[in-house]
Parts: sequence; C-alpha cells; structure tokens
Amino acid sequence: MSAVRIANLTVRFGADVLAVDDFSLDIAQGEFVSIVGPSGCGKTTVLNLLTGLLPLERGDISILGKRPFVGNPDVAYMLARDSLMPWRTTLGNASYGAEVRGVGKAEREAHAMELLRRVGLAGFEHRYPKALSHGMRQRCALARTFTLDSPVMLMDEPFGALDAQTKLQLEDLLLELWREEKRTVVFITHDLAEAVALSDRVIVMSARPGRIVADIPIGLQRPRSVKALQKDPEFHRIYAQVWSELERGIAVSGGAASSVNSQAVSA
Amino acid sequence: MSTQVKPLLAASASTAQSAAGTSSRNLLGHAAFILAFIGLWEFSSRQEWLNPTFFGRPSGIAQYLWNGLVVDRKLWLELGYTVAGTLLSFVLGSVLAIAVGLLFAMFPKFEKAAEPYLTVLNAMPRLALAPLFLLWFGLGIGSKVAVGTSLSFFIVLANTIAGIRGVSADHITLSRSLGATPSQLFFKVTLPSAVPVIASGLRLGLIYSMLGVIGSEIIAAEHGLGQVLSYLQSTFNMNGVMGVTLLLAFMGLLVTAGMSRLERSLLKWQ
Repeated sequence: MSAVRIANLTVRFGADVLAVDDFSLDIAQGEFVSIVGPSGCGKTTVLNLLTGLLPLERGDISILGKRPFVGNPDVAYMLARDSLMPWRTTLGNASYGAEVRGVGKAEREAHAMELLRRVGLAGFEHRYPKALSHGMRQRCALARTFTLDSPVMLMDEPFGALDAQTKLQLEDLLLELWREEKRTVVFITHDLAEAVALSDRVIVMSARPGRIVADIPIGLQRPRSVKALQKDPEFHRIYAQVWSELERGIAVSGGAASSVNSQAVSA
Repeated sequence: MSTQVKPLLAASASTAQSAAGTSSRNLLGHAAFILAFIGLWEFSSRQEWLNPTFFGRPSGIAQYLWNGLVVDRKLWLELGYTVAGTLLSFVLGSVLAIAVGLLFAMFPKFEKAAEPYLTVLNAMPRLALAPLFLLWFGLGIGSKVAVGTSLSFFIVLANTIAGIRGVSADHITLSRSLGATPSQLFFKVTLPSAVPVIASGLRLGLIYSMLGVIGSEIIAAEHGLGQVLSYLQSTFNMNGVMGVTLLLAFMGLLVTAGMSRLERSLLKWQ
C-alpha cells in the first residue's frame, strides 16, 4: 500500500481560479518526497488537502488507505513558521500535539523529552520560546512533529525562514530523525537545492494552475549529510540535471517559466 | 585598543559592587529633594509668599492626616468606602466584561448585533451618568459602584475582545490539523493567548474603577474620600484637600503595584 496516493486532483477557488490541475502522485511508505514550485503554484493547497483542512472536491486522495480528514492520527503537519506557543515551555510545546491527541501526561512528556534530547534541546525543556533562537525554536517544532507517532509527515517549508547555516544543520537533523524513524515525508519547498539534498524524489510543479512538470528520482547515496553534499561534485551534477529537467518541464508545459526560474534560483 | 578596554572592564567590575550603593544613593537624592521641596513650601507659606488658604502648608497637611488617621481615625472609614467601592466595581466590571467577551467569541453573531449599542454606551462620558445612578442607587455604595463598573466594564471588554481576536492563525491551523475539539481550541489556544491582553485591560480597569468611584463620590455620597475632598474644598480646608489627594495618590500606587505583581506571577512566560 502506498503511504499517499493522489489521483486526478483538481482544485478551483471560486468560478475562475484553477489552482491545481489534474495532479496525480503516488508516494511509497518511508519515502522522502519534495514538491517544489513557484509560490502560488498550489503546493500548500495540496498539503492542506492532505491534512483535510481543505475539503476535497475533485479527484481522489488516500493516506494509508483512508480519505483525508481533519485530525487524522496518521498525519503530522509541520508549518513554515515554528508556531510555538509562547506560554508553553519547550517541553509543553514539544508535547502539545500528543496532548491534543489525548496521550497521557507522563507518556507524552517522556516521549517529548527523548525527542528534545535528540534535537539537541536537552537542558532547555523548561525555557519559554522567547529565550530560544530561531534555530532552537524550529528544533522544538521538529520535536513536536516527531513526538506524534504519525507515519506520514507533511512539512510546509519548515526551514524557509532560517539562515543558511542553521538551515543546513536542521536539514541534517531532519534526515537523521527520518532515517531512524522510517516515516514518510512530503516536503514542500521552493529551494531546489534543499529538495535535491533531502529527497528520494523531487516533484516539480508549474505556476498556477499547478501541474506536475517533472518527477525526478534522486540517486544520491544514503545516509547523506547535507553539509557534506555542499562540496560533493555528484550533488552538483544531479542538481544541474534536475535543474535542466525542470527547465525542460516548464518549457513543455508552456507555463510561466520565467516566474519559476526566478523563484527557484533565488532559493 | 587596550587603553579603551581597561576602563570598560573596571567599570563593569564595579557595577555589580555598587548596584546596591547606587540605589541607596538615588533614594537619598530623592529624600533630599522632597525635604527641600517641603521645606521651601513651609517656609514660603510662613513668610506669606504663598497664601495658605489656597495652597495649604505641609505642617497643616501632616497635622490633618495625623488627626484623621491616628487621633480620631475618621479617614479610615472614608478610605474603606472608597477602596471597597473600587474593588467591587473592578471585580463586577471585569467579571461581566470577560464573560461577555467570551460569549462574543463563542457567538460572533451576538457580538455583531451588540456592537453598535456598546459603541454608543462607551462613547457616553460615564461620569455624566452619575446623577442618574445617584437617583437610582442612592447615596450609599451602590451609585459609586455603578459608575465605577460602567467605566471598568468597557475597558476590560475591549481588551478581552482584542485578545481573543489576536489569536495566532498558525496556532489555530496547527491545533485543528491535530484534531483539536472546539473546547480544546478555546482552552489551549484562544484563552491563554488572550490572557496578556486581558491582563493589561484589567490593570486599566482597576484605575478606571477608582476614577469612577472617586468622581461619583465628589458629585455626591454619604461616605468616601471623594466626598471628604468635596466637603473640604467647599469649606476652604486646603490642608485637608492636599492631605486627601496625597492619600488617594498612595492608594492608586498600592493598587497598581499589587496588580503588576499579580500580572508578573501570572505571565512568567512574557
């Protein structure tokens, strides 16, 4: 069974805005798949449909065999901003998802503590978010996401707001957690290098209406270190290859190539 | 470079040492200033540069307060009425306001319907209602509590609404995606995120309660510092007027300091 199966998804906002057009995608269990594309291409829309926050109108989606619904315990959602609650301590934030899902206090806190340790926040569990740096806050958000035992993780540009150095560290941290936990990740980004470094597959979307213009397997060896990849000629060769496939895909689709280019390059 | 660093280091080393010394020196400075001010006032009034009928005199003020607080202790009763009126208006006004604010959060249609009426009521200078309240609730504690409550209610309500509206969309999205129930959303997200804004509303509500109570007492009351003030003013007892004003200032200070302390212990995370 696939982890996520999307078939012929079409999304319209109002009568005349076609946001996503005939989008089909199959993601295997344990796979790390990135979706890249210019802003406004419907990446986040697809994610919101997977969480059930947006109702499905045309097409079909199944997550581990089930239709999406709000509060699906099989799904963990990580937002672009850390969305830590300032009135909760690091521990309170890391265990928040499990708390909402009704996990007992002792159990959820033990689990959250373990993840805080793994993301390098041991000793900070009783601090409030205002005392944490951006990177630490996003580490805490990672811990909160992984404290949920959901097999499918949906991540919406989780590292988009971080500086380059911190971003590399957190990308490696995410890969490490993912390798140990064997979860399925759907990762939204507009940063092509990030997508190539992290993923098993990169899905390239066109500008609105969002269509898949390329589906590119990434053959880089695992386990990977994103930091080490920065100096790896193989990474740059694949990056260039994906880049040209992306350009070709956009040319074929006849979409707004220039807007995709500028978006992807700037990332 | 090294010549610059040395004095900096020396300064920072001595900062910790002299922290206590600085604050006591400040205190001494203030004491000296106040003593000089009082001395000058006393002296000018004895030299009849200042007319004591209009400005009172420090020794007279002290005499008045000593009399009222220690000798015949009549001021305590009046102070008690004012404090009780203030606290009662504050509690009544804020409990009502928070309840209404929460109702608004749960039933947005109700808020929409009530908004124009509240806007008109809030625009009305509430002190102007005091004569009406005096007629309705009499010269006892009722009328001043009515005025105080009418002031604190709107201030706290406005803050409660603002606090609830200010809830982060990300927190709501995250919680909804986790399957939070409406009551979980309310108690785990909306309410805690609104608390700081409500708390600053409460602080203002307390000050406004005091203002309403004293204002109402000045207009008419059987008891209360405002009433005393008005009586002393009409009998040209300036020492008394100054003394009571000083007392009111101290009361205000105490009340807001207590509020800050409560706020700090409630909002450690800020």
